[in-house]
Amino acid sequence: MDELSIEVTGLKKYFVGAKAVDGISFKVKSGSIYGMLGPNGAGKTTTIETLVGLYRRDGGRISVLGYDPEDDLDKIKKLIGVQLQSPSLFPRLTVKEMVNLFSSFYPQPMDPVEVINQVGLDSKENTQIRFLSGGQRHRLAVGLAMVSNGKIMFLDEPTTGLDPKARRQLWDVIKGLKNNGVTVFLTTHYMEEAEKLCDDLMIIDLGKVIVQGSPRELIKEFSQETAIEFSDPGLTDLSRKALEDRQLAARVSYEVKEKRIILYTHNVPFTMKKLLDFGSDHKLAIDDIVVRRASLEDVFLKLTGRGIRE
Amino acid sequence: MRIFINVFLANLKELIRDKTALFWFLAFPIFFVFLFGIVFSGSSELVFNLGIIIEEPSEMTDKIVEAMRAIDSFKVSVARGEGSEEMKALQKGERHIVIKIPAIDYQKMASGQGVEILVYYDASKQQTSQVLMSVVEKMFGEAEHNITGIPEIFKIKQEAIQADKLTDFDYILPGILAMALMQLGLFGSLQFLSLREQKIVRSLGVTPLARSTLLISEITLRLLMALVQTFLIITIARIVFGVTIISNIFVVFAVVIIGSLTFISLGYMLISFVKSNEAGQGIIQIVQFPMMFLSGIFFPPDFMPSYIQAIVRAIPLTYLGDALRQVMIGVYSGRSMLTNIIVLSGWLIVTLIITIKFWRWD
Repeated sequence: MDELSIEVTGLKKYFVGAKAVDGISFKVKSGSIYGMLGPNGAGKTTTIETLVGLYRRDGGRISVLGYDPEDDLDKIKKLIGVQLQSPSLFPRLTVKEMVNLFSSFYPQPMDPVEVINQVGLDSKENTQIRFLSGGQRHRLAVGLAMVSNGKIMFLDEPTTGLDPKARRQLWDVIKGLKNNGVTVFLTTHYMEEAEKLCDDLMIIDLGKVIVQGSPRELIKEFSQETAIEFSDPGLTDLSRKALEDRQLAARVSYEVKEKRIILYTHNVPFTMKKLLDFGSDHKLAIDDIVVRRASLEDVFLKLTGRGIRE
Repeated sequence: MRIFINVFLANLKELIRDKTALFWFLAFPIFFVFLFGIVFSGSSELVFNLGIIIEEPSEMTDKIVEAMRAIDSFKVSVARGEGSEEMKALQKGERHIVIKIPAIDYQKMASGQGVEILVYYDASKQQTSQVLMSVVEKMFGEAEHNITGIPEIFKIKQEAIQADKLTDFDYILPGILAMALMQLGLFGSLQFLSLREQKIVRSLGVTPLARSTLLISEITLRLLMALVQTFLIITIARIVFGVTIISNIFVVFAVVIIGSLTFISLGYMLISFVKSNEAGQGIIQIVQFPMMFLSGIFFPPDFMPSYIQAIVRAIPLTYLGDALRQVMIGVYSGRSMLTNIIVLSGWLIVTLIITIKFWRWD
């Protein structure tokens, strides 16, 4: 059996009037990348901040490298690196000074210069933090976690707000951590990110685990269909009903916010023909059609009945 | 220790790079020293109205009067015999103190019994009267020392008593410093409040850095700032306005550190009860503004009604102002240095206990 870095059983954390985390359990194998996936408000940040000792839990058990954060937080802190979702830092220190300051907190830190290079801030090392862009600040936060040289990196939405290029760079950095034997525990609401990066993941919603497994397993288990996606041509309730009555697909989903309609099918040519017929019968333009393999996004949609960004 | 130094340096850099904050930190005391220095420069020396009642004039009493008159800041009027007109003047508030010198019995004096000199003072003007008393006591103390029948006993006038050249500005300078230290201590706590409000304290909470280290480095920085301000204020007062500081600068620094700690602690206590920076500003203003006027750092609170005087005697700024006046210009108010230090320490301990009880890290 694999060695575990984190083991959580029945974790509960309540705030006034809200069950932010309501009994979740999971195990993180040492040296793996574990993803926690869910929409905003699902309880991801609360979970990560309880694991690193910022909150006291209301129930359940936590073991981080064999320690309970409520008993041995000082020991845990020396062994982990943490990137909070929106960390606040001394605004007038430079990138280099900030990384140096953090490195002095840890017994065996990484080389600050190397950390700055890895997160791509070498050209900004003498810039004061208040002058950094949101994305740069985010990368610095990841760097501050990395400089700990800890055995586990807790990264709370590490790539939120980054442009696609910066996001990909950061993925490489995270993969690099894994190659060096570091366990990574990250949260994200990007399905693609979870799919590409994580060895294991759990999808949570409203404080509860919906499903756990590897990305491949989850997709295989929950979305064997192909997705045909198109722009909502302005369906009325009546035409919506008509579309569903035609039985042109296994399932029909509506992504309200994105104004997309998704048809899940096992028979792409059949569904496609029916769809185009439907369009000409009702004088509706079926535009912007995408045919793709089902993704984690679809798993989420299927399990919760709504899109992750809604 | 290495971590402490690093966090201290981080705080220091934050301060130095915040140009607005740095400007006010340096400009504020300079501004006040110049403002008061100019307002009180020139002729407006403190004048003490002194009445002397001489029961039986003699060569000796003439010398006493001469000695008193030689002090610039004394306005001396003399009455002979019963001197009831001087006593009336005292009651009307026209005299700060009245000294009554009885007929001198040289035989008694020769046998070492000394002369009993009565000093009447206006209780409602306690503070100024006290200043005056200390001067007079010192004069007669010196006199007694020499009282062996030699006519020259009252050459006291050549002694360098600070009251000789005490100007209003001298009196106010320690007040400016006390005010600066109070404001630094109280408003300085907002720095931590903003670290708290901006969640920097929380963000650092996921690292092995002990939060107490963060706080101690803040306090250390605040003390350093207090010493820099003290040095600035004293240096400008000395170079531009010619004020002489009677004590060793390190004695002044020691008082400054005790006073600063008291107000830093008071500041931290106040921010324990609020969440936002705005609320922090408010609660500190509510405390510091009345304190500034009631402490007698700028003018003696003699004329205030007695129930206000009770407040005056309760607030720490009164004692810091008094302590600084003693060590800087040698004006004694009747309170001993020990009292000042005890009261300031008492405030420090009490506010510290309340702070620890109500303290919030985030």
